[in-house]
Amino acid sequence: MAEPLLEVVDLTVDYLTDTADVRAVNGVSFTVEPGEFLGIVGESGCGKTTLLFAVAQLLSPPGEVTGGSVVFRGTDMVRVSPGELRAMRWLDYSVVMQSAMNALNPMKSIGAQFKDTLEAHGDSSAQEIRQRSAEVLALVGIDAAHLKSYPHQLSGGMRQRAMIAMALLFTPQLVIMDEPTSALDVVAQRSLMNKVKDLQRRLGFAIVFVTHDMSVVSRYADRVMVMYAGQVAEAASTEAIFDRPLHPYTRGLMNAFPSIGGPRRELAGIPGAPPDLARPPSGCRFHPRCPEVMPACLTREPELYAIGGAEVRCLLYAEDDR
Amino acid sequence: MSDEPLLRAAGLTRHFRLGGMFDKQVLHAVDDLDLTIHEREIVALVGESGSGKSTVARLLARVYPPTRGEIHYRGRPLHNLRSRRALFWYRGEVAMVFQDPFSAFNPVYRVSHGVMRNLALHRSDLSRGERQQEAERVCGSVGLSPKMLTRFPYELSGGERQRVGFAQALAVRPKLILADEPVSMLDVSIRAGVLNMMAGLRDQEGVSILYITHDIASARYVADRIVVMYAGHLVEAGPTETVLRDPRHPYTQLLLSAVADPREKVESISADSGEPPRVINPTEGCRFRWRCPLAIEKCGQVTPRPMPVGSRQVACHVTAGEPEVPAGDSGPVSVSSHRSS
Repeated sequence: MAEPLLEVVDLTVDYLTDTADVRAVNGVSFTVEPGEFLGIVGESGCGKTTLLFAVAQLLSPPGEVTGGSVVFRGTDMVRVSPGELRAMRWLDYSVVMQSAMNALNPMKSIGAQFKDTLEAHGDSSAQEIRQRSAEVLALVGIDAAHLKSYPHQLSGGMRQRAMIAMALLFTPQLVIMDEPTSALDVVAQRSLMNKVKDLQRRLGFAIVFVTHDMSVVSRYADRVMVMYAGQVAEAASTEAIFDRPLHPYTRGLMNAFPSIGGPRRELAGIPGAPPDLARPPSGCRFHPRCPEVMPACLTREPELYAIGGAEVRCLLYAEDDR
Repeated sequence: MSDEPLLRAAGLTRHFRLGGMFDKQVLHAVDDLDLTIHEREIVALVGESGSGKSTVARLLARVYPPTRGEIHYRGRPLHNLRSRRALFWYRGEVAMVFQDPFSAFNPVYRVSHGVMRNLALHRSDLSRGERQQEAERVCGSVGLSPKMLTRFPYELSGGERQRVGFAQALAVRPKLILADEPVSMLDVSIRAGVLNMMAGLRDQEGVSILYITHDIASARYVADRIVVMYAGHLVEAGPTETVLRDPRHPYTQLLLSAVADPREKVESISADSGEPPRVINPTEGCRFRWRCPLAIEKCGQVTPRPMPVGSRQVACHVTAGEPEVPAGDSGPVSVSSHRSS
């Protein structure tokens, strides 16, 4: 394959507050190829949303990119001017937010919001705008009559699909999604994911998809990156990560959801909570919660070790120990 | 288990009037629902958004009265509980835990406030010192350290807050806890802990729990019995494993197929869009028929009533008449449409 669509290198994001500097994203690197579906998984407070905001250049103070680069189609997004950035938004990449109720303007109809977006990036005629709006709504399976609807008149699933339709107005090459399904019930969640995957196959855009529920991305993502405490804990192809999870944190996430078939087995979940990033634990950041903790984990910080096609940040896989 | 269940609701119905004075629209949130909860039992009430699950919880908690139907708690009809004293007694027997642990607590009070207040109100026989002890004990039974009592809600994680919700409920020493989607706002990694705690409360404290959820997999994990609701109607109810091994109602099958299993391939796509049911001025007929792959003409004319099928109840014209399938064999219906692999 030619050069990647998105290349994030050593990205670091700090929240500079009066009391402490919190490093929410710490040296994260990853690439997204054209048309690829990358799932980013982790618990609340692991820096997933901050990472997405840094990639999409949506951070506002006190959050700030303090290191690394985000190269999207050859442009470093961190250093690009606000004017250039504005031209790229919606056109080249778009973002679907977590809560569609808050992301859509409650005072404007869906059609008016589509119109705003279309007008900001070109002087299309009213006819063209209507046509394109109806087209994208049809893509996500909503009747064009709903262009006149206000957000509160739509169900949660429809709102979220309207957001996705809006993100596809210009058929960008990259769509960034921040937990679009977590406010929905399981049936709506499943149907939305099927829709997203179907659209991706037809239109060929790449997706960066953030979630805390591994089972959501399991059947849709090409690759999965697990984040913990602002760092990459494990990254591998979806098959590899589900067949052979390496990091104890990944295994914990995988064993956290109850299964519907097979014997009923005891679920452990992951006891405890992600650390306060203002005072991360010494050594491996996962050691206070890790079921396989070793003495070295308390002092030595693991790097990302390459195991086959996977990368994992865990001392179990350190070269000198094996 | 005694003969008289802990709680029995028959023909439970709740309608809400919508619109202005001349615009007579009626939203049928719950229609003709029968529900029993026995002692030391976790009953899962499963359905998607808009199916009337939360309304059932609020009816049982006496947040508002039913439009029609009877609720009996330990044989006593609830509509007779009119005096403050009788209601106070009932609130000490049946407690509620809410969905959103981030907005269910007053942010300016310490965790101990809610627990101690419940103890002072409902356990006035205890001395101050005993109350403190009891507060620490209920914290222990939900897996929190007693130190948590002095914290403020913002200092706690989502899972800890939800445990505080259960601790508050437990403080009144209830026989029944109505838990309205207690884990859906929590990270997947900490859900298991809360579910395990619920099972522990049943086994050690002997409380019954009505567990309301849209996630049938988590219902399977903790519940003894499952009640599936759609658009205010009961569509299927029975022992958890019986229902899940051989789901009879097409809606139960749909819910099961929506559970993401990482080992399943993406090819088995169900076309269902997950739209909420329309329950404003409903007409006669099965309310699932618009989405049902098995719908026949009768479904548009006659509302199906729950029929006993073996140990369970099914409200479906098409599938209720079919015989119970022995264990280990999947039913003829569950193979069709939704669960094709």
